Amino acid sequence: MALLEVRHLKKTFGDRAVLDGISFDLEEGGIKAIMGPSGCGKSTLLRCINRLIEPTSGSILFRGQEVTGRDTDVRALRQMIGFVFQNYALYRHLCVLDNVTVGPRKLKRMSRREAEGKALHELQRLNVADLRHSFPSQLSGGQKQRVAIARALAMDPAVLFFDEPTSALDPVMAREVAAVINQLHSENVTVLCVTHDFELARSVADRIIFLRDGRIRAEDTADNLRNHYDDHEIRTFFGPGAAPV
Amino acid sequence: MMGDLAVLQDVLVYWPEIARGLASTLMLSVIITLTGLIAGIAVFYLTLSSSDVCRRAVQGYISIFIGTPLIVFLFLLYYGLPQWGIKLTPLTVAVLGFTLNVAAYNARYMTTAYNGLDPSEIEAAKAQGFTSRQIFHLMTLPQVLRLSIPALTNQAIQNLKDTSLVFLIQYAEFFAQMQEVALRTFRFFDVYLLTGLVYFILVSVLTNLARRAEMFADLPPASRHNR
Amino acid sequence: MTFVDIIAALSKGAAYTVGVTVACIATGFTVGLAVAVIRRLGWRFAAPLTNVYLAVFRGVPMLVLLFMVFFGLPSLGIQVPPLAAMMLSLGLISGAYLSEVFRGALNAVEPDEILAAQAMGLTRWQTLRCIELPQMLRASVPGMINEFTTVLKYSPFAYTVGIPEIMKQATALVSTTMRGVEIYLAVGLMYFSIYWMLVLGVWTIERCFRVPGLTHR
Ligand SMILES: Nc1ncnc2c1ncn2[C@@H]1O[C@H](COP(=O)(O)OP(=O)(O)OP(=O)(O)O)[C@@H](O)[C@H]1O
Ligand SMILES: [Mg+2]
Repeated sequence: MALLEVRHLKKTFGDRAVLDGISFDLEEGGIKAIMGPSGCGKSTLLRCINRLIEPTSGSILFRGQEVTGRDTDVRALRQMIGFVFQNYALYRHLCVLDNVTVGPRKLKRMSRREAEGKALHELQRLNVADLRHSFPSQLSGGQKQRVAIARALAMDPAVLFFDEPTSALDPVMAREVAAVINQLHSENVTVLCVTHDFELARSVADRIIFLRDGRIRAEDTADNLRNHYDDHEIRTFFGPGAAPV
Repeated sequence: MMGDLAVLQDVLVYWPEIARGLASTLMLSVIITLTGLIAGIAVFYLTLSSSDVCRRAVQGYISIFIGTPLIVFLFLLYYGLPQWGIKLTPLTVAVLGFTLNVAAYNARYMTTAYNGLDPSEIEAAKAQGFTSRQIFHLMTLPQVLRLSIPALTNQAIQNLKDTSLVFLIQYAEFFAQMQEVALRTFRFFDVYLLTGLVYFILVSVLTNLARRAEMFADLPPASRHNR
Repeated sequence: MTFVDIIAALSKGAAYTVGVTVACIATGFTVGLAVAVIRRLGWRFAAPLTNVYLAVFRGVPMLVLLFMVFFGLPSLGIQVPPLAAMMLSLGLISGAYLSEVFRGALNAVEPDEILAAQAMGLTRWQTLRCIELPQMLRASVPGMINEFTTVLKYSPFAYTVGIPEIMKQATALVSTTMRGVEIYLAVGLMYFSIYWMLVLGVWTIERCFRVPGLTHR
């Protein structure tokens, strides 16, 4: 059984179908990337799955459980999904350590000590434990993104969602984050990663989902997408010499 | 609440006094709003002075009037000065006291607006050879006034409400007259409620006008603020 | 009677002035915070009520409200003690203005951080308490200082309802000594000193909670 099964997911804003029947699976320990042109509905898809946006129709099974229903415990669902944003969204008034402990303390009712132990472990895992007393404004983009990942991991989520984790970073820092995601993958963390960065997608993901106009146009490995499709849209997006998006 | 409309009947008996009071309130509000604006511009001009002593003196004046209650200054002028044989009328004291107080606030609002201006524009004007006085009245002042419209109109509304304290220096404005009416009719709550209602209506009308002025001036959103 | 004697005589009232000011600030802070939170949470039944509150307490002069409460309510059979009357007039007025200060600061909280808190699974209330309010309070300090200063400057009107604060002491002293100039200058000096202590006090508290890069100072 897959960790996450999305079936015929639709989301309309007004009369515009931003997601128009999305179906895919994400295996436990697997890692998939979602790519597609700007405005094709990638962020909307991630936000529908953790119910930051209410899907219009379709079904989402999380560990076999339907989670689109009215009676679903949305907050329990969100605690199982670690979310990492493009612009980090660190809490600016909290130091790095408090950013990471706020979830465990408020949601898992951990004591401060216990939560700080957990947080330090995650910060060490991401190599930013020295920065634990710094404030977000004092960090570089790459450091912020590591802290954001540690913050998500501290909740022991079943899966990590990344929404364009490298778009705000320079190439060196972007490679850093790619290495972190790879490391997490080797530690058996399940990942769903939205990105515009083909190199990132290729280096971390088993398979890439290509989304366009709210539909999945292809799901395949990076190399196949680049070399073995005749479809015009896929060729222009992934093909050799395709302009980086 | 106003138990019955009889309060209006009781009050209407005193209509001439009330009308005179209302006229005094409005007149005083208009005078101090205008003098406060003009004096405020003058004070703001002085804050830009190249003389260190002048700037310090002006800052001292502003912070004294922002840090002490207006009523103390009014009492000083009205109940204090007679000690030296200087007797001023309530109206003179009110206009003098309010003007100095309002000017300090207005100057402060203008300084805030001034700090938000693009300094390169003024540098460009200097480079073109404008004198600093020309720069002030051709460029700085119009922009500062436009950006300060929300603060200045709020101050005008505040002025109207604050004139209600001049009965304490025996100036027979609206609130003073209404207190007379309350004493004579023994309908304290009703009369004060009615007083509040009249101020509320006046303030609402002014607020509405102020919003129009803001709209007309087409301000950037950041410059809108309260008080 | 020297200037020092005058100050000494007036300082009997200083504690009352500070007391009235603090009581009104506490009222205003509590009510202003509650109103800002209610509006932020968008409770549909409460929003019109807060609008009425804001309009009334910003539209009626403080002295008129004070007289309505202190001299008006007894005619309806409700006796209000002087300090309570100050809190119900000046305190609630400052609550109305403070809630606007708070609203502005709440609107300045980064929406992404709120989204992140929600994505983490925090409830709306937890998000407000752990993320929005701590940032809002820090950003509100300049606005709060303005408002607290205003409260201090309207506190002398407490003498009209018989609270023996500085102004009351001063009027009594003037009527016996006829030394109005020195006395009211001394009063001004005392208010100015309290004003400075108030401002310094708030900034000292602020410094204890200051976070680098959060507010521009
Ligand atoms: N709340 C909303 N109301 C109306 N339309 C919306 C809303 N949210 C998103 N959209 C629209 O849905 C479409 C998909 O948005 P989404 O943010 O999912 O795109 P995306 O693939 O993440 O794009 P990008 O790569 O630029 O981040 C966009 O055209 C957007 O304008
Ligand atoms: Mg997006």
